[in-house]
Amino acid sequence: MNAEIIFLIVGMAAVTYIPRAIPAVLIDKMKFGSQIEKFLKLIPYTAMSALIFPGVFTVDSNRPWIGITGGFAAGFLAWKKAPLIVCVLAAIAVDFVLYLIFPL
Amino acid sequence: MSDNNNTKTQYKAGAKSGVPIIFGFIPIGIAYAIMARHAGFSAPETVFMSIAVFAGASQMMAVGMYAHGAGIAAMILTTFILNLRHLIMSTCIMNKMRSEKTSAKLLAAFGVTDESFAVFTTAKQENCTMPYFMGLISVTYLSWVAGSAIGAFTSDFLPPLLTASLGIALYAMFIALIIPDLKRSSRLGLLVVFTAAVNTVLNQFMASSWSLIVSTLICAAIGVFFVDSDKKEDSANEC
Repeated sequence: MNAEIIFLIVGMAAVTYIPRAIPAVLIDKMKFGSQIEKFLKLIPYTAMSALIFPGVFTVDSNRPWIGITGGFAAGFLAWKKAPLIVCVLAAIAVDFVLYLIFPL
Repeated sequence: MSDNNNTKTQYKAGAKSGVPIIFGFIPIGIAYAIMARHAGFSAPETVFMSIAVFAGASQMMAVGMYAHGAGIAAMILTTFILNLRHLIMSTCIMNKMRSEKTSAKLLAAFGVTDESFAVFTTAKQENCTMPYFMGLISVTYLSWVAGSAIGAFTSDFLPPLLTASLGIALYAMFIALIIPDLKRSSRLGLLVVFTAAVNTVLNQFMASSWSLIVSTLICAAIGVFFVDSDKKEDSANEC
């Protein structure tokens, strides 16, 4: 392996691990009030929303409706209380069919 | 979880909860590896990066920059900025495992990704344990490394049609993870829609890595005053 690339990978590993590890060390020393606890409880929802939008529109960079339709299928099944894996596989299947009808 | 049997059960349950992520990670791992090989990384270097870094978006960004002749410092800085969001996610995860040993938490920290965060923070209360999280990240880590190895050593064997269809997998998972809670609280639903709008607008003005951090924090802060406090009751079975 090339020394420069090893240096790059080790550097990337360090700067990626540090933000992940800081809370592991500091959480014991921190006490959160009820407002902060509520804030932390809401973060999964805001973070996931930001992870979904606008990214889901660019699953197919030229055809946003491919991502929208697949995402809608997953959302609909989740609403109907389908297990997570079923929602994911159904979305994949829907997009697979869309790509069969409207080729890449 | 002092009971050995319980530890095993939790680990298995966590591993099972990671299964939907495999459908996202294997194809993305393959795509990353193909990019890396084209950029001039050897197959072992390509896999080593996945083993050591375990952060897909930044790995793709780095090999893309390498292909364009970027400097090492610039690639490391970009990686840092892209992955800074894990500071927030790790805080949420560790806050649910406060009682665990610091050494175990430091090991768990390596597995903090968007996806493990998404699954763990929406898991049931009884599953907010270290073995559950370890089971979950064992599956995500192995599928990430396996996907990278497949792409690095065998090149692309998945038909393009399948690869394209798998592009929806992780989005579908995020959507399906939050929908059940949105059903229970319409104000939480409004907050999610608001965040989607904020992040979509912010994306026009700043890098998406910053936009994600800013909209996550600002919208959660707004939500503290907006989403009903009895939301806690609504999701009493959550972590």
